[in-house]
Amino acid sequence: MSGEGAEAGKGADIIYLPRWRARGNHAGAHRGRDAGGPGTFKDQVPFLRLPDARRLDLRASLRDPFEGIHVRRFEARVAVEVWALVDLSASMRFRGLGDRMALAGAFCESLAASATRIGDGFGLIACDSGIREEFSLPATRSRATAAAAAARLGAAMPAGASAAGLRAAAARIAGRPKLVFLVSDFRWPPPLLEQVFSGLAFHDLVPVLLADPAEAEALPDWGLIELEDLEGAGTRLVLMRPSLKRRWLAREAERTAALGRLARRHGRAPFRLAERFDPAALSRHLLGG
Amino acid sequence: MSALLADLVRFGAERPTLLWLLPLALLPLAATPRRRTPFADLAAAPPDALSRGLAAALGAAGCLAVAALVIGISGPYRTGERITRTGIGAEVSMLIDRSGSMNETFAGRQPSGAEESKAAASRRILGDFVGSRAHDLFAVTAFSTAPMLVLPMTDRHAAVRAAIAAIDRPGLDYTNVARGLALALGQFGAASGDASRVLLLVSDGAAVIDPRVQETLRAAFAKIRPNLYWLFLRTKGSPGIADRPAGEDTPQAAPERHLDLFFKSLGVPYRAFEAEGPEAVAAAIREIEGLERDPIPYVELRPRRDLAGWAYGLAVFGLTLLILAKLAEVDLAQGRAAPPARRSERRMAA
Repeated sequence: MSGEGAEAGKGADIIYLPRWRARGNHAGAHRGRDAGGPGTFKDQVPFLRLPDARRLDLRASLRDPFEGIHVRRFEARVAVEVWALVDLSASMRFRGLGDRMALAGAFCESLAASATRIGDGFGLIACDSGIREEFSLPATRSRATAAAAAARLGAAMPAGASAAGLRAAAARIAGRPKLVFLVSDFRWPPPLLEQVFSGLAFHDLVPVLLADPAEAEALPDWGLIELEDLEGAGTRLVLMRPSLKRRWLAREAERTAALGRLARRHGRAPFRLAERFDPAALSRHLLGG
Repeated sequence: MSALLADLVRFGAERPTLLWLLPLALLPLAATPRRRTPFADLAAAPPDALSRGLAAALGAAGCLAVAALVIGISGPYRTGERITRTGIGAEVSMLIDRSGSMNETFAGRQPSGAEESKAAASRRILGDFVGSRAHDLFAVTAFSTAPMLVLPMTDRHAAVRAAIAAIDRPGLDYTNVARGLALALGQFGAASGDASRVLLLVSDGAAVIDPRVQETLRAAFAKIRPNLYWLFLRTKGSPGIADRPAGEDTPQAAPERHLDLFFKSLGVPYRAFEAEGPEAVAAAIREIEGLERDPIPYVELRPRRDLAGWAYGLAVFGLTLLILAKLAEVDLAQGRAAPPARRSERRMAA
């Protein structure tokens, strides 16, 4: 998949299969719902319905006791739109063992390159409490524009206090089904989680959970930490000790499990993106899930 | 409440204006000296009572440290005071004979060599008596021709001992018991309430008490009602208290006997000790000491105390807590070393 000596994050493509049969006029790489074009075999129809003499299915025509003429139909290959919805609330500024925004930027760059390379459109919406237009991009097949937008996002400084703008983003991309990557740490209030997921339920939704070991398993066993909430909820002193760490990990696992249940209810299991972005791992997740 | 206020009033400061800095003690509530770790969501950390308690304790330690430092440099103290307490003891008014014969030995001679005069022996033994109990009050009166007020009623035992030390100075001639008794009775304060009162008469002779003065004395004794002890330092060969004279039994012929009779007729608790040597004097004093064991109110003087040491001690305590907390600080990802540099590994492998 990767070129020799090339880095995993750059050269490799994210390979994705949409879960729905797309309609559309743009020829692309994905199986379409409509017939026509050089795709895989779809079905046979009577000649009168599709009077295409090049696609005569001789064996089916001979087999027909009523001596009808049959024509093969093939699926159209169409392009889909791939959207990345990125949470820009202040909690995305967190830096543990990895930089959350850098990870999100790398993911978007890779996604933009992978989508535009096979002719899919790439769109980007960044949201904090509203939609951040300066980081957003309408779906485009222009490779340079998509890459520039993704690069811009990687350098963004998240400052918002909430991710409520994602509801507006869900409204903005309503319409035909799209492949939507929802990139966030999902540290939202439960009502917002529910609303955003239901708002995007019509699309093929892939939640990308930005995690960091420093928030969970890499926590120290002993010591004092003064936590300061990035979204301005004050500070809190925590005396780390093994029992508290166990409780903390259990709490995190419970949160992740709840997010997983919610995401599977709306389509796919969330992809956990931590420390380092690996397109191959995401491809495996997308193909397997 | 008023007791608390009275307690508060006793505290003061050398530089009270510095106390205006005390609001600085609230600073630790606004800012902590600890490194703040940005974190995505505080709700991710499970609620923990121990951490909350520790945070409160460290905040309090910070406030305490600042407040104690401010108080320390302002120079706190507690003013001196007089406290009335109750101890075991008595008000003792000593009436000491200063007639010339007190400077003789018990044998009636001038002291020579290792011999001790009556005055010196009583000085030594009375001096020990004064030091032996902490809460006794003493007054010292001397008398010879005229009574001398040596020391009013006091609990300063050093002064009492000094007054007693002065009684072996060469004495005067005559023994005027009546006026001495009057002055010694006047030494008892009016307000001392239910304290036990002791009038200790130390003399080596007696004198006739004028019948006119007798009435005044009776009235004074009846009013004050002291326990009367007469320590009679008897010179060898001289008549004792109980000896009847050979001739006519008049006060002039046997003044000791008639003084004793007068004391017995007063109606106050009275004992006479006849001492014919220093050991007998000491025994008599011990007996008096044992008899007079009643509660007595006494005044305790507390000197002004500097409290800066306490304030600095508290500040050190608070600062130590803060330093320990600072030393215990860790980073979020302390549990794992930084991720290995994959890039260079790849390069080296390729």
